[in-house]
Amino acid sequence: MKLTGTIFLSILAFILVIYYLVCGIYLNHLGYYNHESLFYIEKSKIVFEGLGNRLKVMGLTSPILPFYATFIFNIFSTTLAPVLASAVGTGVLFYIIASTVAKRLPDEGYIWLLLILFLFHPGIIYTAASGKSIYLILIFFFLFFLNLFKFYRSNTTFHVSIASLCLVILIFCDYKFIWLTLFFIPLVLAITINSLNLGEQESIFRLFISFNSPSLRRKLINKTFALYIILFSLPLAAVLCYKLLNLTHANDLNYFAESPYATWNVLIDKLSFDQLTTNTNYRIPETSILLSARVVLFCPMILIAIYLFRESTYQVLTILIPFAFIEFLHIKYDKVFLAYQYYMIFLILAYLCVIFKAHTVKNHKSFKILLLLTVLVQLYFGWYYLRTSSIAEEQNFTNAFFNRQPDSTQANNVDVANYLNSLPTNSHVLLDDAIAYNIVAFTKDIKPVIMPYESNFLSALETPDKYVDYIVVATAKNIVSGYTQLNEKYIFSVKRTIPNVNFRKVFVTDDWIVYRVITNRSGNTL
Amino acid sequence: MSISIPELLTNDGFITAGERDAIEKHSVASGLSFIKIALTLGYISRKNYDRSILNAGYHIHEAPREEAYDPQVLSKIDLSFAHERLAMPLRIENNKVVCLMASPDDALFIDFIRFTYDLEPQIIIASDMDITWLSNKLLGDKYIKSAVFELMKRDPDSSAVVTFSTAQLIFIFVLIGIVTIGLILSFKNTSIIINVIISSFFLVAIIFKLFLALVGSRFELYQAVTKDDLKQVYDDDLPIYTILLPVYKEDKLIKKLIWNLQSIDYPRHKLDIKLLIEEDDDKTFNAVKNLDFPAIFEVIVVPFHMPKTKPKACNYGLHFARGKYLTIYDAEDIPDTDQLKKVVSLFGKLPEEYICVQSALNYFNRNENFLTRMFTLEYSYWFDYMLPGLDTLDIPIPLGGTSNHFKLEELIELGAWDPFNVTEDADLGVRAYAKGYKIAIINSTTYEEANNEPFNWVRQRSRWIKGYMQTYLVHMRNPVALWKEIGWKGFLGFNFFIGATPVTFLVYPLLLTFFICYVVFDLSGIRTLFPDWVLFMSIFNLMVGNILMIYINMIAVFKRRYYELILFAIANPIYWLMHSVAAYKGLYQLIVKPFYWEKTNHGLSKVNSPTNIVK
Repeated sequence: MKLTGTIFLSILAFILVIYYLVCGIYLNHLGYYNHESLFYIEKSKIVFEGLGNRLKVMGLTSPILPFYATFIFNIFSTTLAPVLASAVGTGVLFYIIASTVAKRLPDEGYIWLLLILFLFHPGIIYTAASGKSIYLILIFFFLFFLNLFKFYRSNTTFHVSIASLCLVILIFCDYKFIWLTLFFIPLVLAITINSLNLGEQESIFRLFISFNSPSLRRKLINKTFALYIILFSLPLAAVLCYKLLNLTHANDLNYFAESPYATWNVLIDKLSFDQLTTNTNYRIPETSILLSARVVLFCPMILIAIYLFRESTYQVLTILIPFAFIEFLHIKYDKVFLAYQYYMIFLILAYLCVIFKAHTVKNHKSFKILLLLTVLVQLYFGWYYLRTSSIAEEQNFTNAFFNRQPDSTQANNVDVANYLNSLPTNSHVLLDDAIAYNIVAFTKDIKPVIMPYESNFLSALETPDKYVDYIVVATAKNIVSGYTQLNEKYIFSVKRTIPNVNFRKVFVTDDWIVYRVITNRSGNTL
Repeated sequence: MSISIPELLTNDGFITAGERDAIEKHSVASGLSFIKIALTLGYISRKNYDRSILNAGYHIHEAPREEAYDPQVLSKIDLSFAHERLAMPLRIENNKVVCLMASPDDALFIDFIRFTYDLEPQIIIASDMDITWLSNKLLGDKYIKSAVFELMKRDPDSSAVVTFSTAQLIFIFVLIGIVTIGLILSFKNTSIIINVIISSFFLVAIIFKLFLALVGSRFELYQAVTKDDLKQVYDDDLPIYTILLPVYKEDKLIKKLIWNLQSIDYPRHKLDIKLLIEEDDDKTFNAVKNLDFPAIFEVIVVPFHMPKTKPKACNYGLHFARGKYLTIYDAEDIPDTDQLKKVVSLFGKLPEEYICVQSALNYFNRNENFLTRMFTLEYSYWFDYMLPGLDTLDIPIPLGGTSNHFKLEELIELGAWDPFNVTEDADLGVRAYAKGYKIAIINSTTYEEANNEPFNWVRQRSRWIKGYMQTYLVHMRNPVALWKEIGWKGFLGFNFFIGATPVTFLVYPLLLTFFICYVVFDLSGIRTLFPDWVLFMSIFNLMVGNILMIYINMIAVFKRRYYELILFAIANPIYWLMHSVAAYKGLYQLIVKPFYWEKTNHGLSKVNSPTNIVK
């Protein structure tokens, strides 16, 4: 059986999935969780077990596709669903890349190189075992660029429209990728100029000739515009519809991107900013100019890719677009550290370029040795970047996975959840899942929990004595206590406005206090 | 009169000696009379022929239609022979057989008269057009009967003479009954179920179209016949090719038609072009008769018989076809000049089961107005993506109205076109698949005239949609049998492509109404009737469906490099509303007059149509 055969690649992908699952479950046992996967777990619980406006949660939770991707794995385990999804998804990513290699290169060595990356690269393991949506981003990032490169070669509508569809999916996996479109604007013009039937070869002169001839100018404009439309109309229309959906269901066009009820990274980004402003040591590597250099260090294979495409102007420009994209993200979201997935996209892109151009290399043996060396460098820097990441949950991952240290980040939340699990089934709990979604993710039954997606949440907030028996409140120590109404100030204000109500602390952790609601009339006590 | 007609024409300078030899050679090879070849293969115009005859002292009878005839005499001659010789006997008078002849020196016909009737002929010279008219009228009865009833007799299950079968009527009425009972018992729940079903169906149908378009677009660079293949085609090896041109009141287009036909790159003597004129269509008849330059087609007059449809005319013409291959063009069609050669080449490469090759259709007047632009968008995705998509997935291809090229023998074996079906082409495509044959798509385009007038457009479209409904009903009389015949892929494809098309147009206004009531006017009534999730779903289906449809249109014109049309794809929802109007008209006609052929007026375009010469 050939290594490049479909069955063999499927078996390899399957083995990888098992390997990732082992890693993921092992991490899970060490207590490793991250905000994104906990957010998905909590929202899945609402969709499948909740009692309120579940349609809104289902439709407006963002990023929507990674969220939906976890649904099918809820059959096996709600808590492990994101990890299962990412493990299987990363296996699929391997299969897609490997089958592309198999179609284009007869040499099995490139599959082995890919296998080394997928087995040992810390970033890939992080992608597969963390339960985050990186796997989907990488899959569709790969497919998007693959189809673009195919389009450059074949000039067929099929590839450009598939690229457009991949871009739509990519945007719904991570909304920030909408900015990628910005950098394609000059590129599309370059592609059009190149495709015009002119004797002149030099791009700048081609542009000059095209602008100075009325018929060529019209042709250039029409074609450029048409290409923009084919490439970007679908993503833009999809985003517009999604925003309208947000407007009609949440009265806010950007609800999906700006509400902590809709997406997990609003609060995380704010926290990141808080850390940045309170930290006295400014993180030098994250300065803008060095970012691209960091990427090159993270993925030196991209240099080989650029070298391979050195004679194709717009292919090189295409490779440079993700650099411009991350630099832009860094400027646009200057209060946020660049997450690991934005480095990982280069790993995928570089390998894609190698697949595309490896056949032009004369000495395959030396080339593969060079690639192997770069892969080894990438493995080291993959680990190094993860270990020294400015984002806490990336650091936690290395601690848990490589140092095998139990991760106690979520211990507080698990304790509170366990307490809530132990309460009588008929008691109701008021909780704001904007910040406490990680508690809900660990609860066994969410029916007694009253959260903002339910219509009676505001009534319960105003008159807790009539609706709930317990309230989960963020302590002053909780770093996100400022982002919810259910903090200690709330207890005081309720006491002031409803004299008959009293609260008793029944469970306390560093971040949370669970209060029992007591009405003075009944004199109920715990 | 000792001089022969060929000599006469040569002496008068209307044909050269070389042409005369060529005609005579062709006459011997084909069995056609000299004058038939001269008049129908572009050697001499009718006017010049008349001039020559009159100068030679002959008299041309101007009103042969008024001549008396004897059925007994007529019964001894076959229509084909009359066609070939451009002559026919009428009656016996004064111990002579009175005959109408276009050429008085046709020895073969004169011998036929002497041998058959044992009498001498009395020749009346008449115009070949009048003889054709009269011969078809008087001798064409059995042919026209066959054209109308052949399929019905041979394969009644495939004929649309019965629109709804009993089982289908029972199904429809039971369904209506269930819905009515549901609405009475629980109006809200039944409405919800109906809403969810139709909106989901709408989306699924459009996603299927997107899928087909993507599958089709994948092979857009694939050329079924390449330039190198064409170089291997030698004129001497080419078979006779029949072209059927069914026309009705297309007098304005005759000159254009001849010009387009003359541009076809195929040996003239191997073309068997037949212009099919209805018996009552004096306009076209006279336009052809009065042509002042040589015609390159043979006229066949289709005797009156109901239903008065294009497939009936084609079936009639089929009886006289001489070609190995056959195609149909409309009067205004401009095929790529190398189309016939490409088809011959492709048939040579394809396995035996391929009996038909469909060319792409597009429009030469695309930039004339909104309607022609929308039509071009639609045809571009249909013929460039949908049909190749169906072809790739091995799903029955609904043939386009023209430019479908058949193997003649297999076409006859299939029962030819169904005269009771108003989209006989789509029906034939499915029937061919059901009988185990295949259809291929070729990289050649025929440019037609896009309908530029809204009412004319609705008429044409209502016929097409009605025809799709007819075709669906005919082939779904026994769904299990169809499943077995064309496989699950073909069955699903047939349902989603032929069946879903009229349904999507019918449900579109309903979905749009929900959308307008819910989003634009925010009516409280609709919110009470439908819960949020239902409205969300139907609006999602409508919006996504529309966006995808717009996108499919965009990618199709992108391929054709009609960049200026790309933004017009956004107007697709409006264009769909026009489809819906046509669909409801089609549905109404399906019930009250299923075989009625809504005539589309051609020749309305003011755009010049240059010949599409392929270099």
